[in-house]
Amino acid sequence: MSATSTSAQASSAQALRGSSPVAGLDRRSLGPLPVLAQSVSAVAPAAAMATTPALVTVQAGTSALWSVALAALLALLVSACVRTFSIRMAAPGALYSFTAKGLGPAAAFACGCALLIGYGVLVMGALTGTGLYAGLLCARLGLTAWPPELPGLPVVLTLSAAGALTAYFLVRGVRLSAGLALCLEVASIVLALAFFAVLLVRQGPHPDMRQLAPPEANPGALASVAAGALPAFGAFIGFESATVLGAEARRPFLVVGRAVRWTVVCSAALYLLATYTQVLPTGGDGVLSPLDDPGRHPAVRLPVLLDLGIAISFFACAVASGTALVRLLFSMGRERMTPRRLGSTHPTHGTPHIAVRLVLPFLVLVPLGLLAAGLELRTVFSLLLSLCTYGFLTAYALVCLAAPVFLHRIGELTRGAVATAAVCVPSLLLVLAAHARLNLSAGNALVPGLFTLLMGAGTVWFVIARRRDPERIGRIGVYDETSAADVLHSASATLLHLPVDIAHQQSGPPARRAR
Amino acid sequence: MSGDTVALSGRQPRAIRSALAVLRHVAAAAPGVTAKEISAALGLAPATTYRLLNLLVEEEYLVRMPDLRGFALGRRVAELTGPRPVPAVPAAAHAAVSRLRDQLRFGVHLAGYADGRIDFTDPDPDHPPTDAAFLTRHPHASALGKLLLADAHTMPSHLAALTGHTITTPEALAAELVRVRTDGVAMQQCELDPLHACLAVPVHSETTGRLAAGLAVCGTPDRIGAVARPGEQSALVDQLRECARRLAPLVV
Repeated sequence: MSATSTSAQASSAQALRGSSPVAGLDRRSLGPLPVLAQSVSAVAPAAAMATTPALVTVQAGTSALWSVALAALLALLVSACVRTFSIRMAAPGALYSFTAKGLGPAAAFACGCALLIGYGVLVMGALTGTGLYAGLLCARLGLTAWPPELPGLPVVLTLSAAGALTAYFLVRGVRLSAGLALCLEVASIVLALAFFAVLLVRQGPHPDMRQLAPPEANPGALASVAAGALPAFGAFIGFESATVLGAEARRPFLVVGRAVRWTVVCSAALYLLATYTQVLPTGGDGVLSPLDDPGRHPAVRLPVLLDLGIAISFFACAVASGTALVRLLFSMGRERMTPRRLGSTHPTHGTPHIAVRLVLPFLVLVPLGLLAAGLELRTVFSLLLSLCTYGFLTAYALVCLAAPVFLHRIGELTRGAVATAAVCVPSLLLVLAAHARLNLSAGNALVPGLFTLLMGAGTVWFVIARRRDPERIGRIGVYDETSAADVLHSASATLLHLPVDIAHQQSGPPARRAR
Repeated sequence: MSGDTVALSGRQPRAIRSALAVLRHVAAAAPGVTAKEISAALGLAPATTYRLLNLLVEEEYLVRMPDLRGFALGRRVAELTGPRPVPAVPAAAHAAVSRLRDQLRFGVHLAGYADGRIDFTDPDPDHPPTDAAFLTRHPHASALGKLLLADAHTMPSHLAALTGHTITTPEALAAELVRVRTDGVAMQQCELDPLHACLAVPVHSETTGRLAAGLAVCGTPDRIGAVARPGEQSALVDQLRECARRLAPLVV
């Protein structure tokens, strides 16, 4: 390298920071497996395989398979938009920070609020799900060793214990929880697959052509396929959450995008299989869910194991969404958009432990409070899952819109990126509208109302923050920037470059401690 | 991808040539060169250029500058050039270290931390230190390595047990690094090899404020242990700190 280019590099390196804005996190330490585990756990495919086909079939009948395929296609396109960012920047704030680089601070904060609602409520929902299925498991096993006036005792105990354990895992870091979560998830999936294998063997070698045939080309049939895609898309939610580990992954630009894409592809395959086999025995009039009455199908012993698997799957989902939530709060804390303390990290574990301590009790107390207020467990569960869906859909729509704008800003726009966003954004808005319509037509205005209220509160927060300290708004979008140490021949790489005194330089490596 | 039966076929040789051309262009240009500029200079289609750039960033041969538009060579490129020449020491730095050597009857070494590696910039000629590449490979076992880990807030992926005293659990190492950060001095006792102990203090560059070098003294465990117990201020640590203070304006 010539002397001039070296000096040019050194002068440009002045623009580089000496340390990353997200320093304190356990940076560049995670291999590909924990990153994949983060996305897979957040999606919780084992739980979704057991619960989603029934919801899809209610809408789409024998065309349920096509609804799942449609939803998978949309999830794949959204993951392509997310990948636009994840191969270019590593941000613990994930979609929030990504949106900032495309659409600026106001849209980014809206995305951040939507994600806070999404991940926060998903943690509550997943903890409730853990309690729900643990309760079912106890009932199935005939465990009734508690006072009859407290039928919900196992649920409450499991929910609280799962919350405490989640907090512990979040403080200790992803490395500890991810491997375990992935093993448990795979075990649950294998259990579910075993159940489906029994059904498939009973069906015999002939494929069910009614399901495989394309839906009729009339508006009514197509509308029902689209309506079925709504719950099916809900089953993919969480696939993007590997992005929050960008700063912590060892090779983030390679690993994160792959983890997100493979989570979508594998979940899609599992959901298609689950839907096909569960629609089989009833021919679309209903679904034989693996969670039904034990008497109805041959694999009587499996439901016990499946309940256990699903409870574990929901617990892993709580840990994964909690991981994403606290990193989002950490990013906002570093930007001073939330109290600064949220941006501090644990001295040994490198996790945003203050955020965990402040938020986790709240996430456990809300579902417990709703139960104490006399709401049915299943009602609480579906309300929470419904609410978090609004958050995720909003965040996805914003990040898909941000992708082509971001590419244009950095001068790397392609036609493909524009086309992907042009399909994703309207589709996601359509899904969002359909979701709201479904809630409203069921006489359930509470959930969309609550979401609007929370987003409104976020807007007020943003306006106040901007009025108090406009500079703070400019900091939105913090990410793990390339620092001087990452660049070849930057200032830090040229040590002691003054006149040479080589009298004491040794030629060749010195012998090990030869004294 | 077809596993281990990868054969170069079709347009792959051209793609590899293009990738190398992109790498060469970024090396020749100043850091911050954009995708558009590279595409125009090399006559490659924009979409192809973006694809190649993103692949090179994924493999970490290139990095994106903080504006996300520009590119520079990544540290990984250094792996292609083999062992680098040891950076030279300014005479004033060598004089300061030599003075310390005269005062102490220990091996005194000055090591630089370029590219996250340990390089002896002024090793004690009378007491040759452990091979720098070995120290870089096992930073958890040496005083100089612990300084580097404590500053970078990182943990090595593998903690090899070099002796019975080596720290081998992430928890214990994390606690040790917290101690290093609080005390401003790192120590190893028989952790690298059974016969030696070392003490090291950081040298922070006066111009950049970054950790630029480490100053270490090494000796037998009983002699080092006798003069400096962890967490205790001792005359030896004071002398090291004084020398590190003199070195601060001389390192970048």
